Amino acid sequence: MWQRETFKKIKQIPREEHVLPGTALCAGCGGLEALRLAAKVLGDHVVYVNAAGCFTMLAAYPYTSFKGSWLYTTMGSAPAGAQGVRDALDVLIAKGKLPKSEDVKVVVLGGDGSTYDMALSSTSGALHRKLDFYYICYDNEAYGNTGMQLSPATPYAARTATSPCSVQHPAATAQEKKNIFEIWRAHRPPYIATVAPRYPLDLEEKFARAAAFTGPKMFLALSACPTGWVYDPGETPEVAKLAVETGLWPLKEAINGVVTHTYIPKRKPVEAYLKLQGRFRHLFEPTVHTDAIRHIQERVDAYWQQVTKEQA
Amino acid sequence: MVAVRFHGRGGQGAKTASRILGTAAFLSGYVAQDSPIYGAERRGAPVAAFTRFGREPIRERGAITHPDVVVVADASLLEDPGARVLEGARAQTVLFVNSSLSPDALRAHLSLPEQVMTRDVTGIALQQLGQREAISALLGAVAARLVGLEWEPVRQAITRELEDLAVAPPVIEKNLTVAKQCYDSVEPTGLHKGGGQVISAAALHNPIYEPPTKGTARISAAGNSVLRETGGWRTFRPVLVAGKCNGCWLCFVYCPDGVIAMNQDDRPVVDYAHCKGCQICVHECPTHALVAEREQEGGEAWTAK
Amino acid sequence: MDSQMMTGNLAAAWGARLADVDYIPAFPITPQTEIVEALAKWCARGEVAARFVSMDSEHSMMTAAGAAEVAGARVFTATSSQGLLHAFEVLYSISGWRAPLVLVNVSRALAAPITLESDHNDVLAARDAGFLQIHAETCQEVLDSILMAYRIAEDERIMLPVIVNLDGFTLSFTREPVSLPDPEMVRRFLPPFRPSHLGFTASSAQALGVAVIGGTSYAYFRHQVHLAARNALEVHGEAAESFHALFGRRYDLVEGYRLEDADDVLVMTNAGASKGKAAVDAARTQGKRVGLLRLRVIRPWPAEAIRQALRGRRGVAVLDQNLAPGQGGILYQEVAACLYHEPARPRALCSFIGGLGGQNLSAGEFHAIVEQTAEAGVAGSGLGPVLLYSAEEHREMTQLQMLAGGHA
Ligand SMILES: Cc1ncc(C[n+]2csc(CCOP(=O)(O)OP(=O)(O)O)c2C)c(N)n1
Ligand code: SF4
Repeated sequence: MWQRETFKKIKQIPREEHVLPGTALCAGCGGLEALRLAAKVLGDHVVYVNAAGCFTMLAAYPYTSFKGSWLYTTMGSAPAGAQGVRDALDVLIAKGKLPKSEDVKVVVLGGDGSTYDMALSSTSGALHRKLDFYYICYDNEAYGNTGMQLSPATPYAARTATSPCSVQHPAATAQEKKNIFEIWRAHRPPYIATVAPRYPLDLEEKFARAAAFTGPKMFLALSACPTGWVYDPGETPEVAKLAVETGLWPLKEAINGVVTHTYIPKRKPVEAYLKLQGRFRHLFEPTVHTDAIRHIQERVDAYWQQVTKEQA
Repeated sequence: MVAVRFHGRGGQGAKTASRILGTAAFLSGYVAQDSPIYGAERRGAPVAAFTRFGREPIRERGAITHPDVVVVADASLLEDPGARVLEGARAQTVLFVNSSLSPDALRAHLSLPEQVMTRDVTGIALQQLGQREAISALLGAVAARLVGLEWEPVRQAITRELEDLAVAPPVIEKNLTVAKQCYDSVEPTGLHKGGGQVISAAALHNPIYEPPTKGTARISAAGNSVLRETGGWRTFRPVLVAGKCNGCWLCFVYCPDGVIAMNQDDRPVVDYAHCKGCQICVHECPTHALVAEREQEGGEAWTAK
Repeated sequence: MDSQMMTGNLAAAWGARLADVDYIPAFPITPQTEIVEALAKWCARGEVAARFVSMDSEHSMMTAAGAAEVAGARVFTATSSQGLLHAFEVLYSISGWRAPLVLVNVSRALAAPITLESDHNDVLAARDAGFLQIHAETCQEVLDSILMAYRIAEDERIMLPVIVNLDGFTLSFTREPVSLPDPEMVRRFLPPFRPSHLGFTASSAQALGVAVIGGTSYAYFRHQVHLAARNALEVHGEAAESFHALFGRRYDLVEGYRLEDADDVLVMTNAGASKGKAAVDAARTQGKRVGLLRLRVIRPWPAEAIRQALRGRRGVAVLDQNLAPGQGGILYQEVAACLYHEPARPRALCSFIGGLGGQNLSAGEFHAIVEQTAEAGVAGSGLGPVLLYSAEEHREMTQLQMLAGGHA
């Protein structure tokens, strides 16, 4: 049984804020919720290396929301930017040009589009080189900044701006969500975790645990997105909760490749989750697409059966 | 040419309203043009959109600097310096504000053009459509009426634009009914044509090289985004009901923007200058100690399910 | 100072070594690879105190290079052709970051069709990227230009990255004597890198490479990049003085060859200029007063130096080793533009396109260029773009087409 060691109670969550308000992100952004909680463990001695996406707006001249540092790179190469920064700091410290006390953590901050698609080569490279960095992917399951187009993180049957539903494609997105967790895990980094900000202690604990490892520390954060998923911004935690409780978003970690599920949901039917969001409305209106819903349910069931089998 | 500028907050439908007006003008036989400003701002941030139409080819593009009509989707924008609602407005400019207050009440603390009209479009939308934000059809209808377009092309334009956004047919029907109500609630205004403006040469500055500390797009004032207030994004504010809070911290934990701090007694203190009004705290508060109140006086209170 | 035989590539590696760089992200591509191989070896042996990292692509390589520079390290990297274009968006980022790294580009023609040999469409595609560009003619100049490049790039009046360009094969793989500057003197020439606007530290956070909203800020920062690049005209002069004083070799923005009394002038860049100089000598033996102007610094564009060199000439031929399809020669356009307001501009400005993808430029072709330019100068009318292609090349190509078509 997985146990939290550092964060046992809600009131252990640090009061200090490291990502300050006044951002241009949407009201109710689930990704920002995740980042804010992560930053409470990461602190301010950080340089965020960002890929193009919604979060690029967190530092838009002349304002930055970070008390730490920031470098925007490109959509396809934030991990390579992290490599450059990390290496430069190491070299400057080794050459005595920078005191060790001035060192900072390097944290990639990228969306799912960047992470699952364009930056995959540079992420793979950084993992392969065992770069000592954090990677936070805020997964809103679409290209958000450009107006919610299909990304390889978009789940089956979600409607996006480039996977509309039609008579020919009644389920909208036909592809399954790419399994980035396993792609990362194939590289055997010391630490990988999925998190959901609705489970703040689980999230904080994982960032705290990751700190013990040198090398890539990879985070996949469920980022419920009112704008793209089409629900009322106030429901962001509810959506995240249902993603976890239906089993669609497993909370887990992998230490040196060994996977542990950090929370075992009782698994509500997936409808509860789907119904809440406009991007799945076509599954229920005007007629109910039982097949598509069943398909989603079966995939979740199969996943958890596998988990149970492995645990046994 | 008639130039109508729409101001709204991302998500309220200012862009769609400008398109409805553009399409309606086009269907009425005018030469028409509409365009939005694409900021990087998201839902809740000030946005603007522009519609021009007339009998002659339109030789202007981009932002409307001298509007004949300004349509404001959210009264809080009037006081948001970033929104620049009144920029370029002249004495004859017609100003329409979505507000439950009367023009005189608005004038009490703002200096506004002569012709000001208000209607509580959000109130109507809440009552009849049950939604917080979708007011594009209503604003489009109001704007079309103000500039003297007939209802039929407006009806068609609303249908087309909402269909384009994949709005379900029954919802479009509802929108049409309410839009007609809004359309009928205002009268066409006598528009003063912006006569030929005298334009003199701009004063040009000669750019000079500045040291890279200044001349590079860099921000050394860490965390200065607090200088940018986002409180105006709200249509509803979370308000603490005295005595109900059990001090659980959940509102503080779930707030994406980090605008809730817990005081000495473990009670939430909301930073209203920055709270965007997402209502996550209202939804998640286990004791319903936080409730959502509509920002404007006279509006109906909205509480979480 | 001792001379030794070395290739242009090795000279480039020595430039990085003598500049005492901190960081070298790398990716292989012919004809550049030898540079990073040499540096990898030296770093592995501890002869260069830099960190060498093999990256997963040039896009990543340039990002890592820029990011390291932004973090305060002195960075060197190298690429060519497809690699340069693969990294293209990052080039603009790096100049926007005002990150003064040095990139060596070994020119190679661009696919398709894919090929290995040189022309300048690759490096000139990057002419608007905000990098300064120095194009070298000799192996010695490659090395010396890298040292000058760091000195200019890191000047507070500039803070822009620099591309040092050399031709693939004709320079990259060609050995000739190169004199290695004394490291102690290089240290005097090139002060340590201490940028005031860069660096990430625990005690002083900053956001770099940030987005801007709206044209007001964007235009301001782009103007600054332009003004910085223009400053390089003067700063290059200072660096050239100081380099000359220390090492005895002098490099100016442009190099004139037998220009003094020339009626007609050939304008060229890079290693091909050596052949151009030979053509000038050949023409001179026939009593023709011909000279050559080699454009060395392409960015900033040395308009004044070009005007001075071409003022009052009869015919000028710009020999572009590149082709902008549908337009012609890239440098021709720029030369023409800066002569427009010159009252004593040449009577004829002719455009020749040659040497694409390593295509040979024969002495006979130079002869034809000289003749046609003189004629155009006398007539006072321009010429071109002339696509240089010899009758022999045409015969050979016809053969190849027959083979490709199965008609042999
Ligand atoms: C090379 C390149 N192609 C396209 C874009 C346009 N672009 C900017 S942000 C973005 C979406 C990124 O999606 P994701 O990584 O999921 O982040 P999100 O926008 O959802 O935050 C795209 C496609 C770009 N910036 N760079
Ligand atoms: S679009 Fe979604 S992910 Fe992007 S800022 Fe808005 S809520 Fe956040």
